[in-house]
Amino acid sequence: MNKSKQQIINRRDFARRAALLSAAMVPTGLAFEAPAAAATNEQLPEGAEKLSAEARAEAEARFQQIMSQYGSRFDGEEQKRVREGCYKLQDSLERLRAFHLENGDAPAVYLKPLLEREKKPQSAPAAGAAPAAAKKP
Amino acid sequence: MLKESILYESVGELAKRIETKQLSPVELTEAYLERSEKLGPRLNAYARLMPVEALDQARAAEKDLHRGHYRGPLHGIPYAAKDLLAVKGVQTTWGAKPFAEQVFDYNATVIEHLRNVGAVLLGKAAMIELAGGLGYMYASASLQGETKNPWDTGCWTCGSSSGSGAIVAAGLAGFAIGTETWGSIVCPSAFCGVSGFRPTYGRVSRHGAMALSYSLDKIGPMARSAEDCARIFAAIAGHDPLDRSTLAVDKAAFTYSPAGDLKKHGLRVGWLSNAWKDYEPGIGKAIQAAHKVLPRHFASVRDAELPEGPWEDAAGFVLQAEVASSFGELIRSGRVQELHDPLGRVGGYVNLTVTGGDYTTAQRVREILQKKMDALFESYDVLATASLPAPATPLTMNLDTGLAFPDPLGAIGNLCGLPALSVPCGFTEKNLPVGLQFIGRAGDDAAVLEAGQIFQRATQWHRKHPRLS
Repeated sequence: MNKSKQQIINRRDFARRAALLSAAMVPTGLAFEAPAAAATNEQLPEGAEKLSAEARAEAEARFQQIMSQYGSRFDGEEQKRVREGCYKLQDSLERLRAFHLENGDAPAVYLKPLLEREKKPQSAPAAGAAPAAAKKP
Repeated sequence: MLKESILYESVGELAKRIETKQLSPVELTEAYLERSEKLGPRLNAYARLMPVEALDQARAAEKDLHRGHYRGPLHGIPYAAKDLLAVKGVQTTWGAKPFAEQVFDYNATVIEHLRNVGAVLLGKAAMIELAGGLGYMYASASLQGETKNPWDTGCWTCGSSSGSGAIVAAGLAGFAIGTETWGSIVCPSAFCGVSGFRPTYGRVSRHGAMALSYSLDKIGPMARSAEDCARIFAAIAGHDPLDRSTLAVDKAAFTYSPAGDLKKHGLRVGWLSNAWKDYEPGIGKAIQAAHKVLPRHFASVRDAELPEGPWEDAAGFVLQAEVASSFGELIRSGRVQELHDPLGRVGGYVNLTVTGGDYTTAQRVREILQKKMDALFESYDVLATASLPAPATPLTMNLDTGLAFPDPLGAIGNLCGLPALSVPCGFTEKNLPVGLQFIGRAGDDAAVLEAGQIFQRATQWHRKHPRLS
């Protein structure tokens, strides 16, 4: 969206977009496309009815976030696929969040501090030569 | 002109001929090149053949041999590398239009390792665009078009190591290198009736390989037997300071043990009863027959169950979040629209919405799963089940609906970085290959490879090959 259009945004539009922004956690400073219309029942992807109202709202916010940033890139069929993807992701997310975790259950990937001896060489390996430490014993 | 049967020999058999100078690396390379030039385009198996470079390498291998410098079982053996491995000065397209002209000025570590043991790089194998990381609906999701299955050219090879599977199955090279993030070695190996090995995460350097998912990507061999996979794995495994995800020197290296040293009746097999919901027609019969073979050759075969939990969801979130980073620029710039597949063009946008919190939750679930799987391996050395519940699918099938079945084993195996091997174990009524999968504890790649070798000593499925005129 160009600058002149951004400048004529009215207060009501601003409030509506700000609400969308907040729901979708979009970083500030981004250019906006006009948000897509909220899904009608016919537009809801298959299986969406199994999601709770909150989950549907989150999936829809996810879709609106994408549309607000990149909406002009999609035709109707692609918009439909994006919406389906958002609902599929949400369905998966609900199962993941339902899994019981204790506060102390740490993630699988840990920081591996970069020790001096492990530091990468500054340049790529020379042509035809394997990195010294990568050679087979 | 070499006989076709020689081109289908295992690396071990070819190596014996080369070492004893009954077969020249140049002669073998020329024969594979000729066959690849003839059949490769019909199968869409290659992204690029490299005849000039291959013949140069073959001549060098031959020269070494005449000087008495034999580098081991891969000396003079032609192979193909999936087109996501950097080869200096040669286009490395990642199977995708936005990267069609990409050229690196260095070799991937795997390519260097294979070069150092005298293997001959014949060409780059076709693949699914960006290894399928942004999603895809059709087999045609590749710069080279759909790769056709040598067993039935109306069927697909599976992806994303689609060309690697076709090349090995069609006898176009001695072996191929594939990669797996989630299913990309196991599935094409099963569909194509070849032996494919996914090593433990961190045993093979990914330096110079396209990064899709930093904590899931693995590189492994696809070949004509489990024993060949072991030989190739021994050449490519090892710590690499250029890839900080590789394991320590003593944990990453692998030494090949010849088949004669296999432990007799030593391995305990857990036969998975809940890996797949249903088998498609033709799969169940072959798998049951394979199941019956095992007790005669293993210490014990008892039913085992995978733990239950949201493992596929966790794997999906890890993959999506990491792809949002690895290909974030491609997505945000809009160049993702250049991808061939309609799902691939839009899937990445959804990935961008995964939050850090949800990614971390998936990683916490992953840690719990790793402990559960490690506990399961207290009772079994390897787990076994069908590689997939379905045979090769028609080329035009919508994969998003037609090949969509729960895959907890793929999720678990890849989330936990476990080694897995798919070996042929029979055919459906339509003569499509069926795969049997062995999965091992993280780091116990030897047990998985040994299980495959034991199975292949008792069966001949890996010796079958398609009829291609």
